[in-house]
Amino acid sequence: MGYKKIKKDQLNTFLSELSKDYTVVLPSRSGGQVVFAPWDGKNTDFLDWYKNTIIPPKALFFPPVEEMFRFRKGEEGYEIEELMPDKRQQIIFGIRPCDARALKIIDMLFADTYKDPYYLRRRENSLLVGLSCNEPCDTCFCASLDISPGQSEDVDILCTDVSDNLLIEAISEKGSNLLSEMSGLSDAGSEEESKAKEMRKSAKEKIARQINLSGLQEKMRSNFENREYWEKASKKCMACGICTYVCPTCHCFDINDENRKKEGKRVRSWDSCKFPLFTRMPMENPRHEKWRRMRQRYHHKFEYYPMNFGTIACTGCGRCIRECPVNVDVTEIIGGI
Amino acid sequence: MMVAVEKDKGDSLMEGDNVYIPHVMKIEKVIEETQNIKTFHFNFKDETQKAQFSFKSGQFAEYSVFGVGEATFCISSSPTRMDHLEFSVMRVGKVTQAIHELQEGDEIGFRGPYGNWFPLDSIQGKNLVFVGGGIGLAPLRSLIWNVLDNRDIYKDIVILYGARSPADLSFKYDLEAWDKDDRVNMYTTVDRGDESWTGRVGLIPPVLEEIGPSPENTVAITCGPPIMIKFTLQSLEKLGFTHDQIITTLEMRMKCGIGKCGRCNIGNIYVCKDGPVFTYSQIRNFLSDEF
Ligand SMILES: Cc1cc2nc3c(=O)[nH]c(=O)nc-3n(C[C@H](O)[C@H](O)[C@H](O)COP(=O)(O)OP(=O)(O)OC[C@H]3O[C@@H](n4cnc5c(N)ncnc54)[C@H](O)[C@@H]3O)c2cc1C
Ligand code: SF4
Ligand code: SF4
Ligand code: FES
Repeated sequence: MGYKKIKKDQLNTFLSELSKDYTVVLPSRSGGQVVFAPWDGKNTDFLDWYKNTIIPPKALFFPPVEEMFRFRKGEEGYEIEELMPDKRQQIIFGIRPCDARALKIIDMLFADTYKDPYYLRRRENSLLVGLSCNEPCDTCFCASLDISPGQSEDVDILCTDVSDNLLIEAISEKGSNLLSEMSGLSDAGSEEESKAKEMRKSAKEKIARQINLSGLQEKMRSNFENREYWEKASKKCMACGICTYVCPTCHCFDINDENRKKEGKRVRSWDSCKFPLFTRMPMENPRHEKWRRMRQRYHHKFEYYPMNFGTIACTGCGRCIRECPVNVDVTEIIGGI
Repeated sequence: MMVAVEKDKGDSLMEGDNVYIPHVMKIEKVIEETQNIKTFHFNFKDETQKAQFSFKSGQFAEYSVFGVGEATFCISSSPTRMDHLEFSVMRVGKVTQAIHELQEGDEIGFRGPYGNWFPLDSIQGKNLVFVGGGIGLAPLRSLIWNVLDNRDIYKDIVILYGARSPADLSFKYDLEAWDKDDRVNMYTTVDRGDESWTGRVGLIPPVLEEIGPSPENTVAITCGPPIMIKFTLQSLEKLGFTHDQIITTLEMRMKCGIGKCGRCNIGNIYVCKDGPVFTYSQIRNFLSDEF
């Protein structure tokens, strides 16, 4: 299927048609933040201001707080009621190529060995409609990680903002099937196609920040025991954990019970390797010191994850750089090794 | 000689099961081992679930007190004795405190088994030396009973168990049974004796060196507190054991037990799914010393 297009001022009709069968979530402003939220049925102005969300789209599949099941003590003892996400199909409209890649990366973990039913159920019931980045932020370094801001193999449909039009391209079979059912789309001309290609190229060129991955694993290995390096790198870190919450590939969690008298829920919530309690054991704590936790985060992403899953667990989205209150910068830390 | 330790491949889970949902199990018996360790006998409420369940010595599970939370313990009974299951708990914090308050008839949540297991196949036909300290006998006793229930396929068996004081000895009923069993060379030691103690006094590592088991066609399996393990490994090396001939278990903070929550790693190794059973050579090859 070739490129389709729709006039940007017709996007509303397109989204309404999608909303019949899907819950459409897209970038919206809420409490001064940009978040993915169910579409209000009206606004499409995000095209004018949207760069990326603070909270990454992982939250749509692996929510910050997930109620896993309910337990209740009855006559016959404890009864358990599984709390699975509902089966309604959702469309994530406007996901950026880096964030779509991040989902591919954490898919490997959640689908590995013991399948994670909550995450996988939401993934199966979702369709990703990507939106190319025309204007990357100065904190982005996705290009170093083999991700193109303008292109993606990790979405079902990819949209590119080309002046008055949105150029629409089916990437997966699921995406292609969906597009073939949509009315209101017209075929794009070769002029628009080449315009889109140009924009993608120029977006990639605009990415100034880089990290050098060549020989990185070996370098990290030999630097592992360089305590001085990690102490210096972690000096200003306050162990607030923000970098891990905003990271689209950080997946660590905690499991706790909430209860009132004879009933309650088991809940899982985002956790962070930056917190000293994360690995605390009765008699000891292998990562009590802050520099060890700093080292763990980067080695996990750039050494252990590649060893275990064959891919680096960083997409260069730059969120951790933007949101860190004390300007800890992953590109500096990796670059300095 | 290679002792092969496998990885958890997740086959304990059936198609369509939600891995996070525990079985509800009933406590059948509570044994007070020491002032801070209790053993619990527990069972499935559902006979079909019971019939479908299987595990291997060395595996662990996530146990929960509903409303308090989950914690990780090994299954301390033997898979050769499936009438009921057992676990033993040292009281150290929130969940272990709540578990200690449980009584016969109370219910717990149980999900598992997880992790890998002691390499039963590759220790066949060998002499076995078991070295356990304190609560560390819990995973070992699962394997010991497993081996004793198939006694003929193993050669000489030495068991060395130690605790801080006579009052800290757990599983006294097992110690007695093994002491009486003439197919087992049983040694018990305490760091400090008391008025009534007539047995051996001494730390595990020197006692092990004194017993001096031959490394010839032998595998040593050791579990216990980190400091004891450290010196036991040194003693085994002194006795001539190679790193492949030594098996131990590791303990890290766990939550999920299935390789997802991200906290139990030592370098790229996730103790919950790549372990908890490792040969000493594997441990020496770890990319990190954070354990
Ligand atoms: C594979 C494996 C097998 C195991 N097998 C066994 C076994 O067979 N038997 C056994 O007894 N144990 C076993 N353990 C250890 C057991 O899992 C832990 O002892 C248990 O999880 C402790 O749980 P808890 O909730 O009681 O402790 P927690 O309450 O979580 O706390 C542990 C310690 O940390 C401190 N702490 C907790 N939260 C805080 C906080 N917010 N601030 C400050 N301090 C805090 C507590 O004071 C306490 O000393 C095993 C562990 C593993 C990994
Ligand atoms: S956001 Fe910055 S200060 Fe907070 S934990 Fe991460 S690196 Fe440390
Ligand atoms: S480590 Fe930072 S730049 Fe990399 S994916 Fe996570 S938040 Fe984005
Ligand atoms: S216990 Fe969660 S990853 Fe090992």
